[in-house]
Amino acid sequence: MRPPDATTRARALAFGAAVLLGTCGALVAPARSDPKPLSVITTTEDLAAIAREVGGERVRAIALCRGYQDPHFVDAKPSYMVQLRNAALFVQVGRDLEIGWAPGLLNGARNPRILPGAPGFVDASAQVQVIEIPQTVSRSQGDVHPYGNPHYWLDPANGAPIARAIRDGLVRVSPADAALFERRCAEFESRLGAAVARWKAEARSLGLAGRKVVTYHRSWSYFARAFDLEVVDFVEPRPGIPPSPNHVQDLVARMKRGDVALLVMEDFFDPRLPRRISEQTGVPLVILPTSVADEPAIRTYFDLFDRLFAAIGPALEGGTRR
Amino acid sequence: MIEQLPFLMWPFLALLCIAGIHVYLGLHVVEREVIFVDLSLAQLAVLGAAVATLWGLDPHDPPTYAAALGFTVLGAAVFSFTRSERGRVPQEAIIGIVYAVAAAATVLILNNAPHGAEHIRDVLVGQLLAVGREDVLRLALLYTGVGALHVLWRRKFLLISHDPAAARAAGINVKGWDFLFYVTFGITVTASVELGGVLVVFSYLIVPSVTAVLFARGVGTRLAIGWAVAALASALGMLTSVWLSAPPGASVVCVFGALLVLAALARPLITRRA
Repeated sequence: MRPPDATTRARALAFGAAVLLGTCGALVAPARSDPKPLSVITTTEDLAAIAREVGGERVRAIALCRGYQDPHFVDAKPSYMVQLRNAALFVQVGRDLEIGWAPGLLNGARNPRILPGAPGFVDASAQVQVIEIPQTVSRSQGDVHPYGNPHYWLDPANGAPIARAIRDGLVRVSPADAALFERRCAEFESRLGAAVARWKAEARSLGLAGRKVVTYHRSWSYFARAFDLEVVDFVEPRPGIPPSPNHVQDLVARMKRGDVALLVMEDFFDPRLPRRISEQTGVPLVILPTSVADEPAIRTYFDLFDRLFAAIGPALEGGTRR
Repeated sequence: MIEQLPFLMWPFLALLCIAGIHVYLGLHVVEREVIFVDLSLAQLAVLGAAVATLWGLDPHDPPTYAAALGFTVLGAAVFSFTRSERGRVPQEAIIGIVYAVAAAATVLILNNAPHGAEHIRDVLVGQLLAVGREDVLRLALLYTGVGALHVLWRRKFLLISHDPAAARAAGINVKGWDFLFYVTFGITVTASVELGGVLVVFSYLIVPSVTAVLFARGVGTRLAIGWAVAALASALGMLTSVWLSAPPGASVVCVFGALLVLAALARPLITRRA
């Protein structure tokens, strides 16, 4: 066997160095631009839509509750556990909206990174001005929320504090992308600001301000406040408890006075009673989505409010003509 | 009270229609010892409606109603073929199994069903206050039809419920008549459950006939007692609902319970005198 000459040795050395460098490069590279997006699990589709606005390509946001489901009641499925176990960030609406199902899922998923208090846990209501915090709470009032009304995403202006809460969470779990998240969040806020101005203008042109409405539940309080509607009564004043004949009678009498413009209902409730009340009183019933992805065409937070105004406009005109 | 009357009239008339046919069918049900058959058939109807949504039908389309009816007829076939006097499996077991599997299958189907499917579950809850004139007319028409069949063939229907062995000895096709019984029964309860909910319908079916069985033997007397109890419970239930400002369905069911307790307490006094 002949000893290797100088050129062969040099080639082998160069090859070895190249392999070593390449390996190092491959190991170092992911830290600079991770191709794998962060897994963000949200309770509702609205939060997932806003997380996509803030995170862009860097996140993969999935909602546990389908857009057409009542977010108060969600059946746990094994797939939710798997999603939560692998999640980098968990975002909830909070204010006890998901109290019936999210805490159990979080505990069951055994993912300490997203437990309450951990960096990967976001309560989207943290920076929102919450209304209707009750003075006294008792079960006799039905399924009420002691921490205030949790349906705050239906005021489009609240999209901004929601986005900021999600941005803060994303920065905590992936500090390297902070600049990206901050830029995207600011962009979303400015687009949202413009859209809110557009919706307010639309509300003005519809003559929405000061109009009286009856809603099924308290879900529309924020929407009403944002666009100056006055909610005068509810079909089911105590959530989860069917209304009594006395209440329905009073409600019909109130609506027959003629100053109620609309009867508004979330689309996941039983429409039979509202339909009958609408027939009796002549007040038009409008059944509305309350979430992104409620219908396939509602893909973004912006689509949701466009859809709401597209439905309210004709319903209001139909009522005025009567 | 007076101002509530117009709003309560149609629900009350609907309850009287329900009482009319359910008290009679309840006598059969208690006699046959198939107490929960109405829950089972109603759940099958819901499963049928859920399956219809898989084909993209709206929960309120007529084909959805046809699918619900189809599954009810299927249940009728199962119940008429699983009835036998010397079978080791009690029929209540079959009824319970059908109920559990139908309910679970509904959950699985609605799990991935398209938008709107969640309303299918509303069918089992009912919404008495939403009952209007058309609902009452529809019920009255349907129940008159079912009632006419049962009046026409009352001897056969009563005999197969009361004494199937004697019916078979008399040359009656018991399975065939059983099937017809369950089909009419299924159509009846599917319509009533949608308006009143399962709790209300169960009460109208079972409580009056149990009360009647406490006091009388003949079918005619039992029917009279049952109808009186059901009418009384309907009226008192509606009054209670207004008085307590409570949901009408739950009020009627609790009044039924109270009436049964009173009847049971009064029984020794009345029978001793008789």
